[in-house]
Amino acid sequence: MNGRVSGPVSDDRPLSTREAVGLVAGREIRERLRATSYYLLTGLLVVVILAIGVIARLADDDGPGSVTVGVAGPAAAQLAPLVRQTADALGREATVTAFDDDAAARAALEDGDVDAVVLPESGQVVFEEDVDNELVAILQQAWAGAEIQRALLDAGLTPEQVGDALSTTALEPTTLEGDDADDEALATLTGTLSAILLFISLQTFGGYVLTGVVEEKSSAVVEVLLARVAADQLLAGKVIGIGVAALLQFAAAVVAGVVALMVSGVDVPGDVWSAMPMNVAWFLGGYALYSMLFALAGSLVSRQEDAQAAAAPIMTALIGAYMLVFIFGYVPDSTASRIMSVIPPIAPLLMPMRMAAGAASVVEVVLALVLLVATILGAWKLTGRIYEQVLLRRGSRVSWRDALSLAGRG
Amino acid sequence: MGSLAPVVLTVDGVTKRYGSLLALDHVDFTVERGEIVGFLGPNGAGKTTAMRAIMRLITLDDGQVTWDGRPVDPATRQRFGYMPAERGMYPRMAVRDHLVYYARLSGRRGAAAARTADAWLERLGLAERRSDAVQNLSSGNQQRVQLALALLNAPDLLVLDEPFSGLDPIAVEVLSELLREEVARGAALLLSSHQLDLVADVCSAVVIVDRGRVVLRGDVAELRASSPTRYVDLEFTSPTPWRPPGATTVEDEGRRLRVAVDLDADPDAVIAEARAQGKLLSYAYTPPDLSEIFLRAVRRDTLDTPPDRHEAVDAGMGDDR
Repeated sequence: MNGRVSGPVSDDRPLSTREAVGLVAGREIRERLRATSYYLLTGLLVVVILAIGVIARLADDDGPGSVTVGVAGPAAAQLAPLVRQTADALGREATVTAFDDDAAARAALEDGDVDAVVLPESGQVVFEEDVDNELVAILQQAWAGAEIQRALLDAGLTPEQVGDALSTTALEPTTLEGDDADDEALATLTGTLSAILLFISLQTFGGYVLTGVVEEKSSAVVEVLLARVAADQLLAGKVIGIGVAALLQFAAAVVAGVVALMVSGVDVPGDVWSAMPMNVAWFLGGYALYSMLFALAGSLVSRQEDAQAAAAPIMTALIGAYMLVFIFGYVPDSTASRIMSVIPPIAPLLMPMRMAAGAASVVEVVLALVLLVATILGAWKLTGRIYEQVLLRRGSRVSWRDALSLAGRG
Repeated sequence: MGSLAPVVLTVDGVTKRYGSLLALDHVDFTVERGEIVGFLGPNGAGKTTAMRAIMRLITLDDGQVTWDGRPVDPATRQRFGYMPAERGMYPRMAVRDHLVYYARLSGRRGAAAARTADAWLERLGLAERRSDAVQNLSSGNQQRVQLALALLNAPDLLVLDEPFSGLDPIAVEVLSELLREEVARGAALLLSSHQLDLVADVCSAVVIVDRGRVVLRGDVAELRASSPTRYVDLEFTSPTPWRPPGATTVEDEGRRLRVAVDLDADPDAVIAEARAQGKLLSYAYTPPDLSEIFLRAVRRDTLDTPPDRHEAVDAGMGDDR
């Protein structure tokens, strides 16, 4: 006999931690996925990233990479193969059209049918407006080749011998470190874009966590909630719920990035491919750390107007980490860059760039992840302790110093 | 309650400090099932802090809160309904979503949570506003939704901080009836209020706190009966110069008098004397009412808030301790 007059009237059961966190997270997800702004931002990100890939492809197809050259007079037949061969060695595609005389060639240039015309009679290359210096060099070399060909034929060599003498192999441009220069540029580009994307996402969704916590505190709904769920469950649910919405958006951006790379037709080095999905892991780590700190900042204030001021230290750390990327991300092999990229608040932004460049060793990546996870767990403990003590303190802003002393008191 | 021991909320020596301020100083009281206890005290006396202590929202420096003889844990608390003084809901979240969400947080699973929400929408007459954002409701309707959040899982204990504030007289009557139903169902109810006439009307017992201490507690009728003072109220048909000798006239409006007499004095003597002096329209013999008992308990002359406590509240430690 426990003295209970009447038991619970329904099948109500106590919530487990997982259920409580799940309920809070579920509400956050529904709220985020209901907002039009979420889809607008996601769509914008995907469109911009895809556009980069498409532009790269278009530039490759129809840009200055491929040219049409008109040649006046009988020299066309001899020049055509030499122009094509020389252009090919420089990674460009040339089409040669023959014209009967200078006038016909100039007319075609004026009509825009050709990009440039060669006038052998007067020894000129004519462009419509801007001189394409690389094309001049190609034509110059082809022209010189034609003259050498003529001279060799005049000297009595057979056409086969002349062909052998003039066949050249193209030089491949590389750097002192042995990397392919194009690959390095691409790695830098994707690494930079990844860092920008990470920063935008951390800032956006960290901001949602901040304003979400302030909304709950300022509207006093938090007191009703805390009568049902523990403060750390509320914190975890909010961070996870907004995190799921953030992850969906970030994953969409990464998929768009992979599609953009494939669409671009650019030869993508393996490190870049492997760094792309790892971005998701770095985002998760960075989000977990920063959003928890944003939640803590939000719990210190009672009005949205004070939220930015309270979050200023977190924002400063995030922007600082972001700026370090543009200093140390471009020297991924330097000792400073190695050290910076394992420091937890910096790692999520800097390490993806070093990974894209192929400069990060497995040991460095694992070390950075371990330190990051340890910091996240520490921040969760700290935040949870402060959180429950400040959420019901309405009125003036609680200073960071007071908040940290509360954690000590526990 | 038959032969069963009454199920009670026991607040036992509860003490809470905020820095140098002693918000609760060894507070003791109980609330039984089927009982409505009024929790009274000037602003800043500690009512909200005590209610938060019952709901486990603050850590205590000393003492404990038990339900049915066991310390309140999260599972017990899930069977408590709470309405804080500061009403709180998500401004842009729909009415029904609030009810479903809170039913789930109260441990109600799946379809049962949705059924509970719909039943309360009907009961509150808000079925047609189910999809409206809370911020688009009138303050009266917002108050109803807030109350539903506290009541929807048929709690064992209700802790309501100022449930009557901001309500018009009709809403007060509706709420009083609703609360009586909850208690008849078997709930224990603790409510705070500044409207002492309402408390006297609704509550069977009161706990009066001041400066963090319980200064008086007990059955309302017993508290009134145990007062050493009685009043004789006399109303003449026309103004009369006569005033009873040997008794204190505490109110004097010419035609109407209130005379304080000792507990053991005979009121009939006063009334007979008054009859000899003029024609009486009405007369009454009463103990002090609840507000007088309250004022005496907190040693105040009026119901105005003492300024010193207000400053402590404004320092941001909470709204009402």
